[in-house]
Amino acid sequence: MTTPILEIKNLHVKVEDEDKQILKGVDLVLPAGEVHAIMGRNGSGKSTLSYVLSGKDGYEVTEGQILFHGEDLLEMDAHERAAAGLFLAFQYPIEIPGVATMTFLKAALNAQRKSRGEDEMKIPDFMKLVKDASKKLEINPDMLKRPLNVGFSGGEKKRAEILQMALMQPSLCVLDETDSGLDIDALKIVSEGVNHLRAENRSMLVITHYQRLLNHIVPDRVHVFSDGKIVESGDRDLALELESKGYADFDGHAA
Amino acid sequence: MTKTQIKLNGAEEQLKALLASAGQDDAAAKFAEIGLPTRRIEAYHYTDLKTLVREVPAGIASDNDGPKANRSAFEGAARVEIVNGKLAGSFDVDGVEVAVSGNTGSGDDSVVLLSEALVGDVVEIKISGEVEQVLHIDRIIDGDAAINADKVTVTLDDGAKATLIETYNGSEAAHLRLATTEVVLGEGVEFAHLQLDGNSSETRHFASNRYELNADAQLQTFVQQSESQVARTTVSARFIGGGAHADFAGLNMLTGSQHGDITVHLSHLVANTTSTEVFKNVVNGRGKAVFQGKIDVAQPAQKTDAQMMCQGLILSERGEVLVKPELEIFADDVLCAHGATCGELDEDSMFYLMSRGIPRAEAKAMLIRAFLAEAFEPIEVYAVIETLEARVDSWLQEQEEA
Repeated sequence: MTTPILEIKNLHVKVEDEDKQILKGVDLVLPAGEVHAIMGRNGSGKSTLSYVLSGKDGYEVTEGQILFHGEDLLEMDAHERAAAGLFLAFQYPIEIPGVATMTFLKAALNAQRKSRGEDEMKIPDFMKLVKDASKKLEINPDMLKRPLNVGFSGGEKKRAEILQMALMQPSLCVLDETDSGLDIDALKIVSEGVNHLRAENRSMLVITHYQRLLNHIVPDRVHVFSDGKIVESGDRDLALELESKGYADFDGHAA
Repeated sequence: MTKTQIKLNGAEEQLKALLASAGQDDAAAKFAEIGLPTRRIEAYHYTDLKTLVREVPAGIASDNDGPKANRSAFEGAARVEIVNGKLAGSFDVDGVEVAVSGNTGSGDDSVVLLSEALVGDVVEIKISGEVEQVLHIDRIIDGDAAINADKVTVTLDDGAKATLIETYNGSEAAHLRLATTEVVLGEGVEFAHLQLDGNSSETRHFASNRYELNADAQLQTFVQQSESQVARTTVSARFIGGGAHADFAGLNMLTGSQHGDITVHLSHLVANTTSTEVFKNVVNGRGKAVFQGKIDVAQPAQKTDAQMMCQGLILSERGEVLVKPELEIFADDVLCAHGATCGELDEDSMFYLMSRGIPRAEAKAMLIRAFLAEAFEPIEVYAVIETLEARVDSWLQEQEEA
């Protein structure tokens, strides 16, 4: 049997310096090539899961483990995880004044290549790569000259995230509420961008609280997340069922 | 009549004796009355020289066999040196005249008093017409630890246009540097004045930059403080002609126990003059950065627009950035704004960059460079930007290794 891309075993996480337990025993196996959706209410711990996966400071794993291609993910720094093929599309991409988007893209791509012991990209190759990928996402080249995410509309920010994902060619994409802040047209462009990246050697974890996104990015499995763990798993029909019944039927809490 | 006498400390006694031996009896007497400035003087609120300057070198800089300072050079720029207070060489540039005179200045501020009384050559530069070639004055202290005072005056005729880079270079010793630069901008002048820091790490550096702007003059300045143990640059400008505009910028980049103070005093004296200030401070270790910005708007100075901004980035627990804005406005139709921000590197930004594969040290360097970009961006001499960016990079490297 091939090693799954991601394997989360009995993961317990609390906020550092606080006694607040957020994840309370998450188990998840994400095989290569599959797209899994995680659905849950606000505050159920979905975003925490994405931060713990990508290595954000401020969380403490108290129990359990995460294997990424069979390796202990928690041993790696955030930048090493990226170089190893993990990508988080942020719910709220950060604005960084003073750093041109192009400069950032080049620094990020080259840093990842360097971590993997590869040579830096030649500038013409890099320019061509960015140009082609931007075109698919209907990104105006002028946007890439602007400081990273500064003054970008909600839709532009999300498209810029997917552009980065396309350029970095990760093996695991974690999409955190990628549909938030998108109008229907932008949702379509972003979803097409994501679907285009579906591949046999790439898995995706799509975090959302609406079923809507899953009409565009059709998942292989759906997991319902409540109070820090997965309470129900099923195929994509589960998302539809959730949409019609609401979360209360699954976690027993009133909405 | 009895004059107030204060108790002078050792350094002050030495300075007084030095003034007397330089034949500056009036200055010595006055210095004995006031001593070095303490925090009781508002302009020195965060920079108490009685405690920061506890010992001073024995004598005035002169030729000696001690260590030599680095020299700076910028490709394409016309260059002269002032070494240990003496002018060496001249500009061979059309429209630029250089002469040397003795000093006649004085002042109530004891740093100004010392700077004027102990000065070597006063280097007088007259500029007319549009001077395309960048001018560079390398102000050097060679040899063993010394007190060095030099002064440059620049007079720009109406309609003149020029760029002047000044570099402060000093040999590895505990110098006390007193530097004065006075610039008079005639009508319609365009002038850029960029000062770069190459002092030794033990130097105590005191610079006074004074500007006078006539009608429609356009001034751009930049001050770097990053090398000396103690540095203070005072920038003062008098706007005396309508339509005059100035952009002031600067950088304190400090670590260890360095103390860097930039104190700006703008006087908008007539109607329709404008100014901007962008000062950046990066501190690590126990570095202490000070910015004081005072803007006076006189009663006739209607339509003044003065925008002051000071930003601090604190990289360590014990670093400090102290900011004091002061506005005195006597006209009623003016736009004056001051802003100050101070903080640590943004953790969310750090995480964002790292989540894209950029290692922590590089992410930190990117954000610090981004923080400084706004102050460097208006500089039009590419070689100066390169010098500054290279120093930021080497500084960041030193912080990583420390």
